[in-house]
Amino acid sequence: MTESTQTHQLDITRVFDAPREVVFRCMIEPEHLTHFWGPVGMSTPLANITIEPWAGGRFETIMVNDETGEEYPSRGVFVEVIEPEKLVWTEPSFGITSTSTFTDLGDGRTEVHIHQSDLPEQFATPEAREGFNSSLDRFAAYLATL
Amino acid sequence: MPTPTLTEDELDATFAALADPTRRAILARLAAGDATVNELAEPFALSLPAISKHLKVLERSGLISRARRAQFRPCHLEPEVLDGAVDWIERNRRIWAERFDQLDRHLRELWEPAPGTTEGRPTEGPITEGPTTEGKQS
Repeated sequence: MTESTQTHQLDITRVFDAPREVVFRCMIEPEHLTHFWGPVGMSTPLANITIEPWAGGRFETIMVNDETGEEYPSRGVFVEVIEPEKLVWTEPSFGITSTSTFTDLGDGRTEVHIHQSDLPEQFATPEAREGFNSSLDRFAAYLATL
Repeated sequence: MPTPTLTEDELDATFAALADPTRRAILARLAAGDATVNELAEPFALSLPAISKHLKVLERSGLISRARRAQFRPCHLEPEVLDGAVDWIERNRRIWAERFDQLDRHLRELWEPAPGTTEGRPTEGPITEGPTTEGKQS
């Protein structure tokens, strides 16, 4: 039973070839965010972005499906803003908190780490994700180990 | 997307339902086949009303359904709802990966000199293989 050592989280890390101040600004300035926020097939028009980079400020976006025009609103609230190191926001409708940490690698590059927590723990482990992802049989097998 | 996209309310209900170990155990049991409340209660040191309460939460979330007509109203797992919740997690991971790809491109546009100019980038040091784009997922 490894569950107790697991936390409720998803993590993703990426290194960018740009100074930390620049990368951080991209995350809090709508003029930048609009260039990358919508994933492939979606856009986030400038008018759909509200960023108030202070604790209690809003972090709201509406992504738009390029083909269907369907809108995906996200209403977040900043919990912590430490320029240019850290951004924490919550999305109350999911009860999910996202923390992004910006690390200056000292060579002009910046590592960004996104951590999402308070997910139900069965989604936290790779085994669980794998099990969920494919078939119910594997899900059942994983559950049996809990 | 292979499975129906759940609404936020549905996802909330699904995640809440999955957050309890007893309810996860019930789902694991139902993955092996339909079962009645009595059958589900057996392996647990729980009263029938306590099990019924868990089943109501699972039913509300759509993760299980219960036969209306049959005398013992057997419980049935609805795997698509589970897949919907999984999809959300996977989708979220993919969204961040794609965002990062685009942010990388955006940063390069910000920092690279216009074509035809000989101006270097404002950062020090040789640029060997271009920006590091490898994403490490831990």
